[in-house]
Amino acid sequence: MAPAASWRQRWWHPIRREPSALVGIAIVGLFALMALFAPWLATHDPTVQDFAVALQPPSADHWLGTDSFGQDLYSRLLYGARLALGIGFGSVALGLAGGLVVGLVAGLAGGRIEWALMRLVDAILAFPEIILAIAFIAVLGMGVDKLVYALAVSFVGPFARIVRSDVLQVKSLPFVEAAGLMGVPKLRIVLRHLLPHVTSSLLVQAGIRISTAILLESGLSFFGLGVVPPTPDWGLMIAEGRGFITMAWWISTWPGLALAVLLVGLTLMGDGLRNAFAPRSEGR
Amino acid sequence: MSLLFEMHDVEKSYAVGHGPRTGLFGRRAPRRLKALDGVRLDIAAGDSVALVGESGSGKSTLVRLMLGLEPPSDGRLRYRQAEFGTFDAAGRQRFAREVAFIYQNARGSMNPRLRVRDILIEPLRLYKICPPTEETARVAALLQRVGLSAALADRFPAELSGGQVRRVAVARALAGEPTTLVADESVAGLDVSVQAQLLNLLRDLCRDMGLTLIFITHDLGVASYLCQRVAVMYLGRIVEEGPTAEVMARPLHPYTRALMQAFPSFERPLKASLAGEIPSPIDLPQGCRFASRCPEVRAACRLEDPVLTRRTDADMRTVACLFPLHA
Amino acid sequence: MYADNGFPAAAPADAGSPAPVPAAAPLLTVQDLTLERGGNAVLDRVTLSLGAGRTLGLLGESGAGKSTLAMALIGLLQAPEVRMQGSMRFDGEELVGLPEKRFQTLRGRRIGLVFQDASAALDPCFTIGDQVCEPLRRHLRLDRRQAIERAVELLDSVGIPDARTRLAAYPHQLSGGMQQRVMISIALACNPELLIADEPTSALDVTIQAQIMELILTRVRALGSSAIFVLHDLALASQVCDDIAVMYAGQIVETGPAQAVLGHPLHPYTVGLRRCVVELDSVQLEPLAGTVPGAADMPAGCRFATRCPHARPRCAAERPPLMQRAGRSLACWEIDRLLAADSEGVAA
Repeated sequence: MAPAASWRQRWWHPIRREPSALVGIAIVGLFALMALFAPWLATHDPTVQDFAVALQPPSADHWLGTDSFGQDLYSRLLYGARLALGIGFGSVALGLAGGLVVGLVAGLAGGRIEWALMRLVDAILAFPEIILAIAFIAVLGMGVDKLVYALAVSFVGPFARIVRSDVLQVKSLPFVEAAGLMGVPKLRIVLRHLLPHVTSSLLVQAGIRISTAILLESGLSFFGLGVVPPTPDWGLMIAEGRGFITMAWWISTWPGLALAVLLVGLTLMGDGLRNAFAPRSEGR
Repeated sequence: MSLLFEMHDVEKSYAVGHGPRTGLFGRRAPRRLKALDGVRLDIAAGDSVALVGESGSGKSTLVRLMLGLEPPSDGRLRYRQAEFGTFDAAGRQRFAREVAFIYQNARGSMNPRLRVRDILIEPLRLYKICPPTEETARVAALLQRVGLSAALADRFPAELSGGQVRRVAVARALAGEPTTLVADESVAGLDVSVQAQLLNLLRDLCRDMGLTLIFITHDLGVASYLCQRVAVMYLGRIVEEGPTAEVMARPLHPYTRALMQAFPSFERPLKASLAGEIPSPIDLPQGCRFASRCPEVRAACRLEDPVLTRRTDADMRTVACLFPLHA
Repeated sequence: MYADNGFPAAAPADAGSPAPVPAAAPLLTVQDLTLERGGNAVLDRVTLSLGAGRTLGLLGESGAGKSTLAMALIGLLQAPEVRMQGSMRFDGEELVGLPEKRFQTLRGRRIGLVFQDASAALDPCFTIGDQVCEPLRRHLRLDRRQAIERAVELLDSVGIPDARTRLAAYPHQLSGGMQQRVMISIALACNPELLIADEPTSALDVTIQAQIMELILTRVRALGSSAIFVLHDLALASQVCDDIAVMYAGQIVETGPAQAVLGHPLHPYTVGLRRCVVELDSVQLEPLAGTVPGAADMPAGCRFATRCPHARPRCAAERPPLMQRAGRSLACWEIDRLLAADSEGVAA
């Protein structure tokens, strides 16, 4: 384990050394600001329809043009960022929480409980994420919140695996046994000695999964299985613009571009973070 | 004098795979590794006992059993007259506080993400030794007690040298105000001068605080410097035990004598006292476990397995040998 | 000419100048070797020599530079990681700056190596036979059958039972002591003139340690080779080595016959070290005060000055040369004063 020094040394310095991490964080940060300040940055209400100005190219009034319902694309793009990041982070956070609990219980309990939980995880992992999400949507219905839950379920699998293997590894380290010998209560050992050593690799994995989540939710919305119109969602916007590609190419293009750039940013950030925190051999 | 630890015929074996098949459908006998094979030892309050042995002697396993980390496969193991399995929650807490363990891997036994201050505060809070306002002062006092500057409280274990890390481990062991200190090879692998400092520290602490000391080592010199009593172990059994000075002046067991002869000395030329390899604890042979290497072996030794016994009732020393030296 | 201890005879008048190199040169001479790594002088003007058929012990604590010196001698430390100045001569050939290809002809053939951890030094993917035969086939150009026969002889000579069947065994199938014996046989396979052993028994149990050390000494003496042992165990060194060189923080502080240096140490560091050693009858250990200074805080002169109870200002500023006194070499400005005090019966 890398020598743990101050917060800054542990987290900031490794990141600073990785250019891809910095670029990725910058891009994602930009989108996060867009999402955060959407209500102030938007020029129009994103769901207001005005057929009089439908299918207009970018102009002074509508910076990025309008779609077939007369909705302002710029505003919808901003609110779409909010949705994309919200669903992306939300589903990953939920999946992380679930995976953490399952992995912890499995790793600590061992025996039959571990076996049973891991078979459950295997079952989840057997399904492609999108199929699993569709199945859940079919049961729960469509909508932003249902989408988050559906995606979260499929993320429990990989996170549970990672947590369990980390727990198994850390569990047998001498200082954990030493704490137990001293009589430290089990819960405290988990919180104080085990969890901190499990979290760093988890967070990197989480970063990587967020781009998967966003792509999935855009895909589902594209197919009409995700959010309900007129919710401003990039996937939905791309689908809505599909029929007008030749006449009004801008309807699908802006959300498509935004999605691409955000995903690239997230990937860079995930890779960069992983490189920054990867165990490196002592050579300095 | 009250007995702290009582061990009577303690055994510990592990299953390690299976032997060869007997015939096509024959069953494969499980192979057992006997880490401890009939250990007898009593430790009273205030004793300082060294467990001395080479690889495979079982000394580390014995200590793990004495700490309650693993149950014995057979035999009786008692702390303050209570069997180990019968402690209630309060009893376990009491035991954890009274018996402090210093790991061989001192650095590994401390959470690398915690500062020294937090490492030392943990037992203070756990056993409610002092109110929170006094914690900093206590930590500083503990560090000074082991010869470290109080400024080290802000460091992480990775920033400390090998000697310093071991002292912090000692400080942590002392934080709970224990009555017994158990240490596993605490001075192995250290530079000679650092080792000397640590040995003096341990000796002074035990003397000043009246602690019971149980020290595992392979080094007879360290054993004689620190401890009043020594128990020599070979392949899972104590083969000789008694006051250190007497055992070293007149060893009764051939293995003890061989250990002393192998110890490098400035005066004596180096001589290999024992031929052959240390046998494996798997599938121990019949008869005395030392018979394969003993220079004094006789026919009876291969048939009968000697048990640790006192030669006379008044004798302070015990030996597990059919034909002890100087008998 | 040689003095009795195998070292060049003491310089006559001027105690400060280095002794002249005698006509019959020793097997190995190191003269003012300085090795820098990362801007720090890990070895500082090391000077010593080793005669044919003699054993030398390099003694010191961690960071003293003894393993570094051993590695440098066999060319395992090269530019650009390190910068070397000074001279190391093996049988007249200069080793500083020697090309790697030339080192490869020396290693295994004229200089044998034994390391501390046999299980790490032996390749787990190859059988014992492969590894013992390797130097035989490479250096001695034996063909396969000859190499195998010689390998069996070698394994026999180091006390491995059933040598012929053991050729097919893999390192992990042998115990630690057996692995070390195999390493020794590989090191001595080509009858080298010099054996370098870095803590060869530190990882072994004490009864096995005695066996292995005895074996090494027997084989080395039988071949008439010289040997350098890097050790931290002073008592072991006193029994195993003819001569001792005590190192501290990259400097040689005292060299001389083992019995003299360890039996009656003179340099303050050696004295302090001797008092720390745990023996079977130790009553009170007197540890050295202080710690080795960090790389950045090394004094320009004697590096022990920061902890020496007899240090004077000159000691930290000016490096004392190796001076011949009482049948050995010492690097200490205060040595004459200490010897005088000693002979007057005052505790130094």
